[in-house]
Amino acid sequence: MQPALERALAELVLGPPLARSDLAALASRHALAADDRDALAAEFERWLVYRKLVQATLRDAVELAIPRTLARLGALFDEYFARFLRERGPQTHYLRDVTSELLDFCAPLWARDARVPPWALDLARHEAVQIVVSSEREPAVKAPLGELDLERGLRFVGAARVVRYAFAVHRMSADEGDRTPPEAAPTELFVYRDEEHDVRYLELSPLAAALLERLLAGESLKAALLAACAVTGSDPGAALDGTARLLADLSERGAVLGAAPEASPSVPAATEAREARLRAAEDCSNMAGFGREKEPHERS
Amino acid sequence: MDPAPRATTSGVGLGLRWDFLEEVLDGPDVDVGFFEVSPENYMRRGGYYPAALERIGRRYPLVTHGLTLSIGAEAEPDPHYVAELATEVERLGSPWHSDHLALTSGAGRVFHELLPLKFSRDTAFRVADRLEALAEALERPVAIENITYYAHAGRAELSETDFLHTLFERTRAGLLFDVNNLYVNAENHGFDPFARLAEFPLERAVELHVAGHTRSASGLLIDTHGAPIVPAVFELLAATLARTGPLPVLLERDNAVPPLAVLLEEVRAVRRVVEHALAGRTPRTEARRAAGA
Repeated sequence: MQPALERALAELVLGPPLARSDLAALASRHALAADDRDALAAEFERWLVYRKLVQATLRDAVELAIPRTLARLGALFDEYFARFLRERGPQTHYLRDVTSELLDFCAPLWARDARVPPWALDLARHEAVQIVVSSEREPAVKAPLGELDLERGLRFVGAARVVRYAFAVHRMSADEGDRTPPEAAPTELFVYRDEEHDVRYLELSPLAAALLERLLAGESLKAALLAACAVTGSDPGAALDGTARLLADLSERGAVLGAAPEASPSVPAATEAREARLRAAEDCSNMAGFGREKEPHERS
Repeated sequence: MDPAPRATTSGVGLGLRWDFLEEVLDGPDVDVGFFEVSPENYMRRGGYYPAALERIGRRYPLVTHGLTLSIGAEAEPDPHYVAELATEVERLGSPWHSDHLALTSGAGRVFHELLPLKFSRDTAFRVADRLEALAEALERPVAIENITYYAHAGRAELSETDFLHTLFERTRAGLLFDVNNLYVNAENHGFDPFARLAEFPLERAVELHVAGHTRSASGLLIDTHGAPIVPAVFELLAATLARTGPLPVLLERDNAVPPLAVLLEEVRAVRRVVEHALAGRTPRTEARRAAGA
């Protein structure tokens, strides 16, 4: 009867609020043996202590990760948090990953809920990416970038990614009490962990974002540049200098480690070109003060 | 079955917490026998914390104490988790690994909290078999900790201590005996912890834990690890050591963590109790005096 007991306990600690009078229905739902049901009923208040402990640990972990999202959504967040616990629940051994699981659960639901501000998921993802990147595995080993080879890809630090938002959430105030909504503006950021283990944010132009996404995916420099120019309507020839400057900057920052060992295939054709706008990467962190001690972690 | 050989780490250790990690990392040597760490906070990841722990491991013995194995669940322990754990305990050179006699996941959810196991023969057998498999996977001795249980998970077929004896008949694993957990359970369930102590299979103990707890508004003691050790727990520690002989002892503090200097003073108090107990003095009175109570 262990599976029945586990299902019942899972619902007890993660499910909807429960009164003593609900226990019989819970036991029936999970085909709990009568003596186990009676044992749970005999110590019902103490099981509510477990419920409180479990939910407090999980909520604290999420609040550490996305405090501004929680502050701005208020009761609406509580509603979705309870729904997450009830319908999906954490499935990771790592407390630091619970927020990502929650946001994956909420993403489609928030998109359909008019009560949720359209920028909420962007803000939550932007807050959460701090822990995701700061804990991403793979040590950074710096190597000189050397000569750029168009036929080869690049090696990046393991903790690096391009994120895209529809709102300029990276410019929002770090003040949890601020309620100013973000500007609706397509936003692309390069987020990486530097050699000091600090997470850095660089604002990118659409072309730079498209280029870096492809390079991170393993495409050769030539293929990535042509494809990025194609999707952004940029002139590949005019983009070359900017590309070289961008990659040199990222190399200097330790985010690009050097050329990849082998050439990557596939060179998509360029479309009609416009002037390349490959803005130099620019530090844009609004996460100052979001120190390492803020990462949720297990306590024994 | 024969117990696992005792590992070499000894003395009074301290649970390494991020609240004072940088002070340990960058400061002068601190007088602890070892640090105990929760591997989940350092494994399957990169970045600052694993790098910092590696540096600390060059200066102090480290012992791993896991939290999410869920050894008593119906489902086998997550093989990905166990594989990552094996890598981590090897990286840290932990002489043994321990986890809790608990249900930390079930029905596809991870609770991130130590829920009690049903004290049944089936559960004891299941846990024992899994401890054997875990020791094999980690290639080192393993131990399991008696937890605080505020309630029983279904109808208990066995007492906690009978459950432990049943379990240890089938495994070579050690017992990580948490003295504070015995005290908290005794208070919450209304039994004499000193009398109950005699029933525990302490011949299998490989490590002891001590910590503080908090009384909730309802009167229930909660194992918060958020307060100093109370004198009665020091007395229980002394009584335990009088039975076990020398064992590594760990001070845990997870909430309301005071400055490191305060924790180190508590480590010294624990050490005084250990020394007095092992010197064969009357445990209950000497423990109080040694702890400065």
